[in-house]
Amino acid sequence: MQNVEGDFRGEIWPSVVLKIIKHYQEEGQGTEVVQGVLLGLVVEDRLEITNCFPFPQHTEDDADFDEVQYQMEMMRSLRHVNIDHLHVGWYQSTYYGSFVTRALLDSQFSYQHAIEESVVLIYDPIKTAEGSLSLKAYRLTPKLMEVCKEKDFSPEALKKANITFEYMFEEVPIVIKNSHLINVLMWELEKKSAVADKHELLSLASSNHLGKNLQLLMDRVDEMSQDIVKYNTYMRNTSKQQQQKHQYQQRRQQENMQRQSRGEPPLPEEDLSKLFKPPQPPARMDSLLIAGQINTYCQNIKEFTAQNLGKLFMAQALQEYNN
Amino acid sequence: MSRFFTTGSDSESESSLSGEELVTKPVGGNYGKQPLLLSEDEEDTKRVVRSAKDKRFEELTNLIRTIRNAMKIRDVTKCLEEFELLGKAYGKAKSIVDKEGVPRFYIRILADLEDYLNELWEDKEGKKKMNKNNAKALSTLRQKIRKYNRDFESHITSYKQNPEQSADEDAEKNEEDSEGSSDEDEDEEGVSAATFLKKKSDAPSGESRKFLKKMDDEDEDSEDSEDDEDWDTGSTSSDSDSEEEEGKQTALASRFLKKAPTTDEDKKAAEKKREDKAKKKHDRKSKRLDEEEEDNEGGEWERVRGGVPLVKEKPKMFAKGTEITHAVVIKKLNEILQARGKKGTDRAAQIELLQLLVQIAAENNLGEGVIVKIKFNIIASLYDYNPNLATYMKPEMWGKCLDCINELMDILFANPNIFVGENILEESENLHNTDQPLRVRGCILTLVERMDEEFTKIMQNTDPHSQEYVEHLKDEAQVCAIIERVQRYLEEKGTTEEVCRIYLLRILHTYYKFDYKAHQRQLTPPEGSSKSEQDQAENEGEDSAVLMERLCKYIYAKDRTDRIRTCAILCHIYHHALHSRWYQARDLMLMSHLQDNIQHADPPVQILYNRTMVQLGICAFRQGLTKDAHNALLDIQSSGRAKELLGQGLLLRSLQERNQEQEKVERRRQVPFHLHINLELLECVYLVSAMLLEIPYMAAHESDARRRMISKQFHHQLRVGERQPLLGPPESMREHVVAASKAMKMGDWKTCHSFIINEKMNGKVWDLFPEADKVRTMLVRKIQEESLRTYLFTYSSVYDSISMETLSDMFELDLPTVHSIISKMIINEELMASLDQPTQTVVMHRTEPTAQQNLALQLAEKLGSLVENNERVFDHKQGTYGGYFRDQKDGYRKNEGYMRRGGYRQQQSQTAY
Repeated sequence: MQNVEGDFRGEIWPSVVLKIIKHYQEEGQGTEVVQGVLLGLVVEDRLEITNCFPFPQHTEDDADFDEVQYQMEMMRSLRHVNIDHLHVGWYQSTYYGSFVTRALLDSQFSYQHAIEESVVLIYDPIKTAEGSLSLKAYRLTPKLMEVCKEKDFSPEALKKANITFEYMFEEVPIVIKNSHLINVLMWELEKKSAVADKHELLSLASSNHLGKNLQLLMDRVDEMSQDIVKYNTYMRNTSKQQQQKHQYQQRRQQENMQRQSRGEPPLPEEDLSKLFKPPQPPARMDSLLIAGQINTYCQNIKEFTAQNLGKLFMAQALQEYNN
Repeated sequence: MSRFFTTGSDSESESSLSGEELVTKPVGGNYGKQPLLLSEDEEDTKRVVRSAKDKRFEELTNLIRTIRNAMKIRDVTKCLEEFELLGKAYGKAKSIVDKEGVPRFYIRILADLEDYLNELWEDKEGKKKMNKNNAKALSTLRQKIRKYNRDFESHITSYKQNPEQSADEDAEKNEEDSEGSSDEDEDEEGVSAATFLKKKSDAPSGESRKFLKKMDDEDEDSEDSEDDEDWDTGSTSSDSDSEEEEGKQTALASRFLKKAPTTDEDKKAAEKKREDKAKKKHDRKSKRLDEEEEDNEGGEWERVRGGVPLVKEKPKMFAKGTEITHAVVIKKLNEILQARGKKGTDRAAQIELLQLLVQIAAENNLGEGVIVKIKFNIIASLYDYNPNLATYMKPEMWGKCLDCINELMDILFANPNIFVGENILEESENLHNTDQPLRVRGCILTLVERMDEEFTKIMQNTDPHSQEYVEHLKDEAQVCAIIERVQRYLEEKGTTEEVCRIYLLRILHTYYKFDYKAHQRQLTPPEGSSKSEQDQAENEGEDSAVLMERLCKYIYAKDRTDRIRTCAILCHIYHHALHSRWYQARDLMLMSHLQDNIQHADPPVQILYNRTMVQLGICAFRQGLTKDAHNALLDIQSSGRAKELLGQGLLLRSLQERNQEQEKVERRRQVPFHLHINLELLECVYLVSAMLLEIPYMAAHESDARRRMISKQFHHQLRVGERQPLLGPPESMREHVVAASKAMKMGDWKTCHSFIINEKMNGKVWDLFPEADKVRTMLVRKIQEESLRTYLFTYSSVYDSISMETLSDMFELDLPTVHSIISKMIINEELMASLDQPTQTVVMHRTEPTAQQNLALQLAEKLGSLVENNERVFDHKQGTYGGYFRDQKDGYRKNEGYMRRGGYRQQQSQTAY
């Protein structure tokens, strides 16, 4: 995951952040994710996210619910109350950092295709609960946009596009932009709050989080393995066919040589591709996504362990100091 | 001889029986019923004939007269009414008419009526004059009579051709005419009768006649002259009837009659003819009698009664005055036996006959040889009574059979000079020469075996929950007694082979019974002196264990057929197991090597094997050997078809898979109810032993990805229990076990104990054991031990050390036991700990990986395989062909490139962590 080139950055209004958190707390739990639309405006190379509204949760009952209709109506209504109505992206919650999926790719592609500046804001409620707000904005890289436009995910195409899991998404740096008055209020509040309120940050319990992450990582690795096996069979089949094709051609050639020596006309040319239908190449996009996901997990774990190690050393030092 | 039959009550029932028989008979031409002759009463019965016919015909003629009157006054309504009545009356007289032919006067009235109606119909003017009712009745009647007359078309046409023959008959004459016609028949002999029959019978009866004729051909008796034909048809048809309605005495009588002429050699053909005639006449008479009975309207009871003595005096064994000698009796016996198995033979009658013969033989002091011979045959024909394998003996037959065998045994014991054997030829039999030992053909062993089979069949076919079953079961003692007697007899006289067979029979009746007396004796061995007389008397019988030992050992030593030995071994094991002699039972099972080759045995033996294995398992459980119990029961329980495998019922599920035949065969294999092994007990024993094994195992291998299930069925039950959304208090036995397992998982032995042993479970399962209390104490102990193990497995990670005293308190086990259990676990490397002797504590080593470590290990494994797969992809990229990696793995490993990739692998793993 590379950072976005240039000075492009996002500014989020605190009300948006609070709305997103509230949305998750009210409607999402466990592995379920919540989604919503971000509204704002583009100022020079700055993306200001000033408002948002949630998507309703999907249930079995309202299968014919028209999302587009809903969005349009919401935006129309918001315009009436003089709120920025430029559609600048969308947000989604995540469970232990698992968000690199095909669905996300597809919808982000369609957003970005329509409005170039669109971002997806990923909110991690679990990390937030542990004490540090986790909000990240991503965009698809221009390379990936190209590939997605082509809709060709064959190994060759991806190879040509020179795309790897590292260059799929780019992270947009974001800041939460408070008004000065709010900043003042925050300072005042901080002075009053007791230290005990922040104890989540110092929690030494790590096994649960780590275990979950490992479990998820393992599942992805399994998927990856399967994918590779699939690819392997494909490769084997192709090479086998190549061989056969080769042999066939050679035989043909020999026969033609013989015929020539006998003064007969050569055999007519045949469509080789009809004789040897190349096996369907497996789409490589999935494996790319899995790799990307694995990468995210690894980074998560790395981050987490680093922090935890720090905490542990701190705790040890404290212990020694007390003794 | 006939005086056996002259008892008054007998005759009554007989006649009524014969009446019933006729009633149930379908209307047809073959009325040869009761060809019973005794000429003395002939005159008497003639009156009966007249009255029977009279009554019906008078009724008819009266009706006809009214119709004629109505016709004269042109009252069609009246005509219609009367005609309907006439039709009904005719229906009543139908059976007589069938016999006698349609009376001419009846035909005449039909013809006349039709003509008359047609006339009226044509007479348009007259019709107009008629009142409405009459006109309506006319049309109805006309239609009716047209329809009705269709049945009598031939008669009517023949009548119309020569109407003068019966031109002006009145009712008086009419009767005479019928009389005369019947007389005529007799004079005309069978031919006319045959035509009669042909005329009167409907199509099906004609067919039956043909069929009967065929039977005649088969019958030896059909050699009689042509004149006898319809007599013959008569008698055979009666036979076939009686075949349908089992055991009717009349048919029996006919049999006698048929034989009578053959025994009386000096009877002349002319006489026979006369007799036949008389018989035929009598047929008719008796039939009419029956009809009267059937109606029961007219009170002519006296006359019916008059006919009765006729019937009952029939059965005549020998002609009067014949001297009863051996030769005669044997001849007679052979005669009877010849009929055996033939189609037309009435089996019930045969049995009766044979019994008569025995009585005659006994009365005339013909010696035991003859009686034994006849008795053999009686029993054989009792067995033959049911032609179908699936049906079973009726209780009275069964009783008779038992009595008969007992009597036979009495005779055989009383007369040691009688030799009985199946290989004695008929010719070499010696039945009466008392100077030499008597020799009789017949096999007592086969009879007894057959008897045993019949007993099993009776038990199979009786509802096990009825009082009837108990009644039948009481016969078991008798069966055993007979077997014992035969055994004693054969021990003296039989060959080893026979002895083996009878021993097996004895074993089969002994092995499944729990010997309470011996058990009691074992419990209170020394204080025999204080016991009362009665107790001692009770205790005098041989211990069944000793008995089994003796019988089985004999069979092991002497038997040459594999099957008997196999059965004996299995029964022996079963008996051992039943009496908790586990080690003997197990050793015998292992020594016999039956487990290897039982699949080649026939199904009944396999069922016996299954039963034995189950019993063995239950025995092991009682001894507290959970593992052995589990192993023994695993095969039976895991299939889910325990019921079927033990021969205790058919599964509904497989009903579609088998056809009727197979089902019958399987049904015959079923074990009678009193031998059943309680299936719930079986399942409970299995589940509890599975629980005792599985729960500690599960606790020990909680985080092991590759752990195996010990018992699938137990896991299934656990899963079923987990699926329940609401958990109430357990109801069924399974729920109890599941609840107990859950408690045990937590190491909570007290709850576990209360689930396994409580009122409900006692009633359902534990009280079924002979030594229930002993089993319960064993069970409690087992639960405590296994709970302790489970507790240690589950919670060892939270302890640094734990005092053995605490454990001993927690599980209410004494310290040495706790010590030994923990030591065993440490030795088996199940528990990573060491014992600290001075403080009596267990110190945990904590070498077990934590959950995260386990996960990390698993992840590493997965990554390994991922990398390997990835390497293969790389191979393709390098242009090597598919299969290269597989074929030349070793060579490839040595490749230089490998090292580089190895380094890559390390990198990968590092990033993963």
